[in-house]
Amino acid sequence: MKKIVLILLSVVLLSCKNEASKTVLNSKASTQLDLKYAQGFKVSDFNTFKVLEIINPWPKAKKSYRYVLISKENAAKTTFNKSEYDGIITNPIESLVVTSTTHLPALELLGVTHTLTGFPGTHFISSKKIRTRVDRGSLRELGKNESINTEVLLELNPDAVIGFGIDGNNKTFETIKNSGIPVIYNGDWVENSPLAKAEWIKFFGALYNKEKQADSIFKTIENNYIEAKKLAQAAKNKPTILSGAMHSDIWYLPNGTSTEAQFLKDANTNYLWKDSTGSGSLKLNFEAVYTKAKSADIWLNPSNYISLEALKNASTHHTKFNAYKNKTIYTVANTTGETGGVLYYELGFARPDLVLKDIIKIAHPQLLKDHELFFFKPLK
Amino acid sequence: MSISKTYKLPFIVLVLVLFVCFVININLGSVYIPLKDVFNSLIGSDTNVEAWQHIINNYRLPKAITAILVGSGLGISGLLMQTLFRNPLAGPFVLGISSGASLGVALIILGSGLFGGLFASFFVSKWSIVIAASLGSFLVLLAVLTVSIKVRDTMAILIIGLMFASITAAIVSVLSYFGSAEQLQQYIFWGFGSLGNLSWNELFIFAVIFCFGIVLSIVSIKSLNTLLLGENYAISLGLNIKKSRLIIIAATSLLAGTITAFAGPIAFIGLAIPHITRQVFNTSNHKILLPAVFLFGAIVMLICDSIAQLPHSDYTLPINAITSIIGAPVVIWLLVRKQKMVF
Repeated sequence: MKKIVLILLSVVLLSCKNEASKTVLNSKASTQLDLKYAQGFKVSDFNTFKVLEIINPWPKAKKSYRYVLISKENAAKTTFNKSEYDGIITNPIESLVVTSTTHLPALELLGVTHTLTGFPGTHFISSKKIRTRVDRGSLRELGKNESINTEVLLELNPDAVIGFGIDGNNKTFETIKNSGIPVIYNGDWVENSPLAKAEWIKFFGALYNKEKQADSIFKTIENNYIEAKKLAQAAKNKPTILSGAMHSDIWYLPNGTSTEAQFLKDANTNYLWKDSTGSGSLKLNFEAVYTKAKSADIWLNPSNYISLEALKNASTHHTKFNAYKNKTIYTVANTTGETGGVLYYELGFARPDLVLKDIIKIAHPQLLKDHELFFFKPLK
Repeated sequence: MSISKTYKLPFIVLVLVLFVCFVININLGSVYIPLKDVFNSLIGSDTNVEAWQHIINNYRLPKAITAILVGSGLGISGLLMQTLFRNPLAGPFVLGISSGASLGVALIILGSGLFGGLFASFFVSKWSIVIAASLGSFLVLLAVLTVSIKVRDTMAILIIGLMFASITAAIVSVLSYFGSAEQLQQYIFWGFGSLGNLSWNELFIFAVIFCFGIVLSIVSIKSLNTLLLGENYAISLGLNIKKSRLIIIAATSLLAGTITAFAGPIAFIGLAIPHITRQVFNTSNHKILLPAVFLFGAIVMLICDSIAQLPHSDYTLPINAITSIIGAPVVIWLLVRKQKMVF
């Protein structure tokens, strides 16, 4: 009897070993996805599968997240040590849920909007192509971003959820992960240059095995951006720029190391707070802003105020700036999609070339004569 | 007469301190402006830098006056509530006055989505917020008053006020849940409180309503003193409790309602200023307390604002936080030192 048990045990053990030998894990990466600006993610290609690593999903992230991207056929042949990875995703992805409108342009540019099956807050979506999916009912509403409707999501059972977080403590995402749906954190917003943010299209490219296409789309955007920047550097005058607006007693404006400030620099303008540093936005006193920017030539992005009247209503101090008197205020808040979502917040990350061209057109009207303002409109 | 003589010196000192605080408040700010230019600007002559004139005349001066109105008004309404309810924890916010204002503002800002595009943008202007806040506090107060006609017990009214506060807070939570990020941001900014955002026109209207409230409080001095003896005793002295209660509540609502409407919910002042005043003056006579609370409230608010402006730095702190951070330890210190509450 003992012998039989021993034989049975060894058979079981041997068969386990056989299973393990199916693993084609190869420690040597054959190729690394070429990234020029983005620092928040890496993709290593191991021929039969890829490893996607999210290095910086939120500011000061302590650990990186690793995901296996593998085709269905290879997945059947391979086993992975689950504890080593934060998720195993079969690609190309057939069903995806994203959680920020900034994730949408990449899907549209790559031509994979048909795989998008759910989104929290569909009324924010401005992309026409994706709106028709909402109207047809092929894109499920998932409720609010902070508390995604987990039941609907589980029913959708997407191949992956593209999340984002300000830190790693999102209970909803934990629940989703625990139910077996991988959540990948997108850290495009942490990148510190406009082109780095735009390069995250390659992240989506890897999910859909469309690396080449993503690369060529990004190259075009990059070239456009660099060309526009070169053109702007030729301009002789450097108009002074004020940004933001007052809420209660505090004036919020982008700090000198932000992407907004980088746009202003690349557009060859003189942003009055270009020398400031720090994370987040500057929170200044009215007096400080007024003495410095009273005679600024241009006022960009006066927060979410949509008219001169609204700006005046919020505070009469706003009207004391030359830019208000001369009506040289430009906002992105009035360029909205069908349902009122601000286009800049959806498309701005993906198309820095358009943002830069807009600012150049505003600051140096003699350049870029053919360019029509896309995101920015004069405040009326 | 003899009482007021005893307090003559402290009052003179307080008035002087108020004047000094007022001048310091106008002189200190993010931008350094020499005292000479401050005075030049105040008397209408030109300053060295053009921008300074606007800062002094249209930013710092209205802000200092707003601080005086807010501090004194909240202090007085706190005093009225504490005496009326004979409860040291009462304040203008307890009756649900501030919660009512918050609800009004929340409905306008967070609920604007319900009204739709153009209509909403028209409504989310500063005046609509002021009107909504006043209406909100007035309606909550009306509800409390209606109940107070039926319920004789002031403690019951106090609890009913607290219940109204809970209900409004719950509605605000529901509205916040459905509000967009921008709307939430706007509502939170309102909650920070703000003294420096009033134009002269707005300040004028604010001051007129404020004066009505002060007049009503002065009218109530006698009944307040009688109320300290207890309601039943007051009745036996021939005081018309219902009428007095109505006037006192109306005065509080006018003061606290408009202040919350124009400057946002300013914490702590209403509750603490009457206590600080009682500790210093050691009296419960409202003839003394009322003007003293007025002065103390104004002085404390001016000091808090000067600190919030972080002189000579580009930054500024929300006034609502400063009032509590600076004020609460002062009350604790006073209580520890005197070892008992004067009430």
